[in-house]
Amino acid sequence: MSVNILGFEIEMYYLVILLPLIGGLFGYLINRLRTEFNFVGFVLTLFFAIKLFIISRNEVISQVTATIFGFDAKIYIDSLAGFILLFNAIFAFLIWVYSLKAMSKKPRERAYYLYIALTLAAANGVVLSGNLIFLLIFWNVLVFSLYGILLVGKKDSSFAARKAITIIGVADFAMMLGIVILLVKTGTVNFPFAPKILLNDPWLIFSYILIFIGAIAKAGAMPLHTWIPESAKVVPASTMAFIPASLDKLLGIYLLIRVSYFIFDISGSMPIRIILMAIGAITIIAAVMMAMVQKEAMRLLSFHAVSQVGYMVMGIGTGIPIGIAGGLFHMINHAIYKSCLFLSAGSVEHRTKTTQLDNLGGLGTKMPVTMFTFIVAAFAISGVPPFNGFYSKWMVYQGVVELSGETNLWPIFLIAAMFGSVLTLASFLKMIHSLFLGQRPKVLNKVREARFDMVVPSLILASACIIFGVFAKAIPLKHLILPALPFEIGEIGFWDPRLATILIIVGVIIGLIVFLLGTAKKPRRSKVFVGGEILDEEAARITGPNFYSSVNTLGMLKKTYDFGEGGAFDFYNYLLGITRGLAVVFRDVINSSFVGAYKFIGKLISALSRLTSALHTGELYNYVGWLFLGGIIILILLVL
Amino acid sequence: MIGLDFFLDRFGIFLSALFIFIGLMSFIYSLVTIKQKGHRLEYYLMLLLIVGSGVGVALSYNLLLIFIFWEISTFAIWRTVGFYRKEENIHAANITFFINFAAAAIMLIGLVILYLDNGTFNFFEIKIYNDLASVFILIGILAKSVTIPLHIWLVPAYKSVPSAIGGCLAGIAENIGVILFLRLFTAGNYFAPEFFNVVAWLAIATSIIAGGAALLSKDLRDLLAFSTISQIGFILLGFAVGGTYGMMGGALYILAHALAKSGLFYGVGIIEDATGKSDLNAISGMFKVSPVLGVSMAFLACSIVGFFPMIGFFAKLGVIVGAVEKSGYFGIGAIVAAVFTILYIIRFYNKLFFGEKTGKIKNISYTGLTVVFILALVSLLLGIFIYFPENYLMGNGGF
Repeated sequence: MSVNILGFEIEMYYLVILLPLIGGLFGYLINRLRTEFNFVGFVLTLFFAIKLFIISRNEVISQVTATIFGFDAKIYIDSLAGFILLFNAIFAFLIWVYSLKAMSKKPRERAYYLYIALTLAAANGVVLSGNLIFLLIFWNVLVFSLYGILLVGKKDSSFAARKAITIIGVADFAMMLGIVILLVKTGTVNFPFAPKILLNDPWLIFSYILIFIGAIAKAGAMPLHTWIPESAKVVPASTMAFIPASLDKLLGIYLLIRVSYFIFDISGSMPIRIILMAIGAITIIAAVMMAMVQKEAMRLLSFHAVSQVGYMVMGIGTGIPIGIAGGLFHMINHAIYKSCLFLSAGSVEHRTKTTQLDNLGGLGTKMPVTMFTFIVAAFAISGVPPFNGFYSKWMVYQGVVELSGETNLWPIFLIAAMFGSVLTLASFLKMIHSLFLGQRPKVLNKVREARFDMVVPSLILASACIIFGVFAKAIPLKHLILPALPFEIGEIGFWDPRLATILIIVGVIIGLIVFLLGTAKKPRRSKVFVGGEILDEEAARITGPNFYSSVNTLGMLKKTYDFGEGGAFDFYNYLLGITRGLAVVFRDVINSSFVGAYKFIGKLISALSRLTSALHTGELYNYVGWLFLGGIIILILLVL
Repeated sequence: MIGLDFFLDRFGIFLSALFIFIGLMSFIYSLVTIKQKGHRLEYYLMLLLIVGSGVGVALSYNLLLIFIFWEISTFAIWRTVGFYRKEENIHAANITFFINFAAAAIMLIGLVILYLDNGTFNFFEIKIYNDLASVFILIGILAKSVTIPLHIWLVPAYKSVPSAIGGCLAGIAENIGVILFLRLFTAGNYFAPEFFNVVAWLAIATSIIAGGAALLSKDLRDLLAFSTISQIGFILLGFAVGGTYGMMGGALYILAHALAKSGLFYGVGIIEDATGKSDLNAISGMFKVSPVLGVSMAFLACSIVGFFPMIGFFAKLGVIVGAVEKSGYFGIGAIVAAVFTILYIIRFYNKLFFGEKTGKIKNISYTGLTVVFILALVSLLLGIFIYFPENYLMGNGGF
């Protein structure tokens, strides 16, 4: 498993951590050769990640390399780790290719590449760690690089970065405590845990919950998601595509599956599973409702990046093998289509210089490839067959349905998941309309298709959406998902994507024939007029963002939306509010009372000394009087 | 009773090296900032006394000798806090002196009781511990190591101390209390679980309360003072819970905190000198003024928070493992304190370094910048190569 580089035998698993680090660091220091160094970093990492993935399918690499601080620095690569490792490298490579054009000549470009490389190195480290403490160490590096990369913004992004590092940092400390409790209670945190730990001790349950918090904070599930929409407004699209859309999902869900089914075994604990599914359901619905009414492309997409986590958490929470596989499959599908969406929207932004849906429209004829990739990914995320999103959602649904024997709550989760899917489709129809269909504002008439190196990554991702959907059973499930999980799954419903695809294609062809034969080709056009005056085209343009305005003006919902936009559901605000409230008590009550006590002691002492100094008047007869008095007292004592 | 009773063990050497390094950094930074003609000589004497008394406490095994160094340290702090000789400086210096001196006097009673019981001041030979004596000695330790309820002298002291010696205060003078705690109580002869539990809870309460106060501080010096109080709580917690990880964590925490806090102190000193302000809300956009300072302070801040590439991570991890080994509730308390730490550090850093640039900014001294950079670099390197300090402390004759 080692490779020979310039005469040195180096293990491949070190290389996938070191190569991006070295490439990034040297690229940062030697700006002139940045692209070359980055190329070496990302491409070779991809190469070795593929090799490691192939090895990990047949054998588990498990090796203790050193003992640091009393913990084994262990490398542990099973097929789950290999699978995540592969996709880390793929996404980093695609984003890097995309950034070459998208980020060129942007402010702080150098730092951006350094952080991308650092993030990849740390993410690979997380996946390779065979010891939870070392996983935590790499997890910490990710906080560091997240803060850095969010500071590379389109405009001042320091608030978003502060919010992100606060939420993730607090979750990290929770995770640290969880890992330490696990270490102290069980004596080891090395993988693999055999036998798995059952949730029968309150401290172990607490430990599981704490690690779970760390995982979902990374994945971005509610209520720890609020930094994602916040940063969507201020950071470049490629950053969004890289961190919240792909890598964070990969790592968060990786840790969630690890901790839920490899370290602990939650399938025996119904309350925990219900909590997971409830978090999933709430995340799906609440985030998609927020997405529906957004008027800015990136922010809209970012709410979907939150909403989709709900399916993964729900699938993993079912505890049914097919549901868990669905959750994992949905994770990879999500990373694919969501980064595709961000990249396509980024291409639009690159050409039009705006992301406000109000100012966009009719770009379909100008940017056909981008439109294609965007629509494919949009259908995938909405769960339209035969794309990949449908298949994984289907598996999650099936997992929830199979719960019927165990709990009566399953219809609620099923309805939430399906309803969320419908709303997702609705909001993407709005977005497709606002970006690519409808009338084009005049200022956008000169827009061209993005350069090929920005289009190619989106195209690759879009074709992955199709392949993973149509050949779901033959490719991703057989080679990636099922080998990664430690259990057998049964038959996946009656859904056969290939047959369905053929039927859908036939349907589309029939539709086209009807369209061409009929009169639909020549719609009737007439001038629009208001109050007798004919409006010009620009004024009569119908924009997309207000498709669902009626939703947020409905009585009850309106209040909720107002609360939501005002930050009433923002964990960050609660955290800050509670800690500040406590801090006021600490400072103004407890600390002040100590200070007051000292002041009181000081006053007491000075009062006493004033009393004694009153006795020392400096006049002779006074002292003689005291002497006399003292003599009498001594005399009396002696006599008695 | 007393002689030149010194001994060398790994912990002592480790601390001496650290103290001398911190003192050296402070000295270099002083060269460019301490320009008052009148009592400049006195200043350098006091700087050396603080370093020397710190090393003395770290290397001595005679309790009376430790007490003498202790008082030398108190005296030196008193002089440096009142360095600028203004009304408020002298007031702050007096508060500092009175609290430290009164607590030390009580501690002396405790030491004498120990002497009467055991017939020696050598802490290796002390076998009989009197609970009353322990409490008396603890009072001295708490005052020196700024733990509730004897912490209030630090805020006025930090406000008036020259920034060049603030690092020595945070990195050396306040650590000698916890060093005595480690030497005297955790040597293995004192069995009083209640005592250690009370100290641990006191340390956690200190950490949390001071963290909360730091979260609200408007003044940079206030924030640093409360931050120091909060961080020393972690050190005391590590020593109070004991165990290999607790002791290790505490020792590394002394290292991490001394490096990081003195670096932050000098960084804040640079910012104060450049902008002429010390109000957190009035300063912003410093990153554009000096990226090197920004990056260095980011590293130092991360070390205080306890993020990985810094030594602070292992220190905090060690303390938390030690705490959880004793009781899960200690762990929860420590994490709450850590959460307060991350909140106030991020607030401090973001407000100082991002946003609009503040008005007039004078030139930044490169000497000061170099000192901050070196401290940040050392924190980073020790964190990455944790093997060396860990191996040194854990080796033969260490913990």
